[in-house]
Order: sequence, then structure tokens, then C-alpha cells
Amino acid sequence: MTTFVRFWGTRGSIPTPGHKTRKYGGNTSCVEVRIDDALFICDGGTGLRELGVDLLARSSSSVEAHMFFSHTHWDHIQGFPFFMPAYATENSLYVYGVTKDDNRVHRLLLGQMRSEYFPVKFSDLGSKIVSSDLGGGAKSIEGVMVRHYEQTHPGRSFAFSFEKNGVKVVYATDNEIDMTVLNADDILEHPEALRRVPEEFVRFVGDADLLIADGQYTDEEYPAKLGWGHARASTVVDLAVQARVKQCAIFHHDPMHSDHDMDEKIARCRARAERAGSNVVVFGAREGLEIKLD
Amino acid sequence: MSTAGAPTLRVLASARVASAPESLLDCHGPMSHPRPTDEDEPTVVGDVPVVPSVRRQRTPFVLQQIEGPGAPRDYVLDLDEIVIGRSNQAHIAIDSSMISRRHMVLSRSGPEYTVSDLDSSNGVFLNGIKAHSAVLREGDTLQIGDVVLVYREGS
Repeated sequence: MTTFVRFWGTRGSIPTPGHKTRKYGGNTSCVEVRIDDALFICDGGTGLRELGVDLLARSSSSVEAHMFFSHTHWDHIQGFPFFMPAYATENSLYVYGVTKDDNRVHRLLLGQMRSEYFPVKFSDLGSKIVSSDLGGGAKSIEGVMVRHYEQTHPGRSFAFSFEKNGVKVVYATDNEIDMTVLNADDILEHPEALRRVPEEFVRFVGDADLLIADGQYTDEEYPAKLGWGHARASTVVDLAVQARVKQCAIFHHDPMHSDHDMDEKIARCRARAERAGSNVVVFGAREGLEIKLD
Repeated sequence: MSTAGAPTLRVLASARVASAPESLLDCHGPMSHPRPTDEDEPTVVGDVPVVPSVRRQRTPFVLQQIEGPGAPRDYVLDLDEIVIGRSNQAHIAIDSSMISRRHMVLSRSGPEYTVSDLDSSNGVFLNGIKAHSAVLREGDTLQIGDVVLVYREGS
């Protein structure tokens, strides 16, 4: 059993190509999770385009992909019209909602391809695109148990976990966990204190081999962004510590952050994990990085 | 070592390497990337002279070995595919019991190299993260066993 995770887009909000973002990348959210022969795609930001090109190059047969969208804000769906496997008749794409008959994502993927927005009609896509759902709970897909968790984000967003034979990957972006911190008053007096995250979310993330989580802001930036739906990277570290996560990828990088800014933010995150006495490996998700979990 | 089928090499001399490593690649002591000098010949493009100090020079892609057997030394990355390992068949051969015979490969695509773990026993660590593969960027650190290498982008 082998699990591979590859980052195709790690940026938040808007693509940021250019020399200042070469290291961590400028494409918006898209992560590939491959567990044995099953292919899961988390979000369809602009990184999805390159994943599509790569899938066609590496696949000798048809592409079958299970697509999970945290939510439908632009930076999470914009790559879909450019996802080449969607155009070939032999391919099958399963687009998941979270509750029974939840076709919200499917509808919005279709909507963004109306002629006002895009020249090719959704109905002209050649592949089989199937609206599916998690039935409100967990679902086994090709032997992989997939679960969801509703997060804190304007317009709603969902985290997903993928688990098979004891290997667990959690994708949790666009989640302002700072809004849910239980000891907010203590933190005002002691900013370095561990921020306690609700037990339900700690359990959802618990013992993940890899947590990919929105850590868009620094501590200094966050007060001006309250309610925008994104977290402090430092709070993600505290979540990882409480949930005994093995590796934590800080994700959904702020479009204003250069590679240099990112390096500094990650260094501070690592120092925070160390101060908490945790062995969690914290790193900044970067385009083109593939991790093998076994 | 066998060099059967070895690619053509660009050889760079270095006084700092006492004995040439058994590598198919250029290898020499720690280096600086070349910079324009006053001795550069002026160039004329059309009627416009190009000032030597601003003329663009190509710099090589380099892997600097900063720790492990044989360090410090630099490898100029001249090939599109470069295997690094303990085997003397590897393009960059490093005599360490902590690395696999064929440990990792660097593959060039356009202006960048990608590193891939060749199912090594001890893995490839990119800036401290165990990576299966990754597109490399200036200053990235690769650790394989007791060997630490720093990637320097060329142009």
C-alpha cells in the first residue's frame, strides 16, 4: 500500500506567478492524493491545469478521478475548465458533495462555464462527469475511507480525510480555526500559549500522517483579516500538536507573501512546534513537491 | 570505473581536488558562479556596443556537497539526467555506506531540475522534508544519509 501526495497549487485567493514566488509556487489550490490505484483530487484551483497535463502524459489508460472541492470560491474551481482529462470521452470524473444529493459543486462547475465566463460549454466536455456525494457521513471509495468536516469559512467550506490501512491524509483549507479557539481570553494575556482547538476537529485530524492546512496569515497580519475565513499559521501548528500529526503542510499561501516571507513564516512555525515539545514536521507546501507516505 | 557509454563531459580544472572523484560529472572544489570581468571583449549588436559588465553570462547549475565523504566539493550539472549514489556507475558517486547504490536522480526539464528518490533505503530529505520528488529551487538542501548537498540554479 502506497500513498503519494503531490502539490499542484498552494497559493490562496489568486494566482501569483513571478520570480518572487518561484519556490512555493503561484498556482491556486490543487492537491493530488494517490492511494494505490485510486486518484483523489482536492480542489480545482489553477494548479489543476498542470495536473491534467501530467495525468494525460503518465496514463496509458483512461483517467478516473474522484474530485473533492473544499468549497466553490474562485481560487478552488478556476482550473476546472482547463483540466484536459475533462475533454476526453474515455475519462470519468466523480465530483463529490458532502450530503445526499448535494450537487452544489457540480452546479457551480457548470455555472462557471456559461458563455459569459468561458467559451466552451460544460455540456461539450467529453468525459463522463458524475455528481456524487458522501451521504452526510463517511464513504469508502476504492477501499479508501473518505470523511468530511465542516469548517469556518464565509459561504461554508469542508475538510476531507482520506484513510487506508492506517495511513491518513487530511486536507483542510480555507478554515479560520482561530474563530473556534476555546481559550481565546487566555491567549490575549499569553500569546504564546497553546491555542486549544475544538475536540471534534482534533479528532477529525487526529494522528494524520499528513495534515494540509490553511495557514495563510502571520500573527501580525491576522487582526486585520478577522472573519475572512483563513487561519494563522501558528494556530495550525497548535492544531497539529494537539492532534499528534506527523507532518503538517502549511497551505493556501497569502498572495502577498514572497518566498522569503514564506521561509520566515515557516521558520517561526517550526520554532513554535519545538517550543510545544512536538516532533511534528512543519513545512510550507510548495508546487512540485511529492511526498510518499507508507 | 567503467565509463562505457558515458556522456561527453565538460571538464573544469580545480587545484582544490587532490584526486579526481570517480564521477562522470565535472567535480571541483567550492566555486563561485562566473561573473563578467574587465577582460571581457566588448561586443557590438548592430551599431550598439554592449558594455561587458552588463552582458549576460550563462552560469552552470551546480550541486555543492557541504557534508559527507569528500566534502566540500562541487558538481557541475551538465547532463539532463544525473544519478547520484554509492555505485561507481552513478554519475555522481559518493562513497558512503548510508546512501543507496542508486539513491536519487536529478532530471532536467527546461530551466529546472527535478529530484526523485530511486526507492532508496534512507530517503531523500529536501530542506528537512522527506520527499519522493520535487522541483528544485536555488538554495535547496538535499540530504541523503550523511551527505548534504546544496542546489545552485544556473541560467
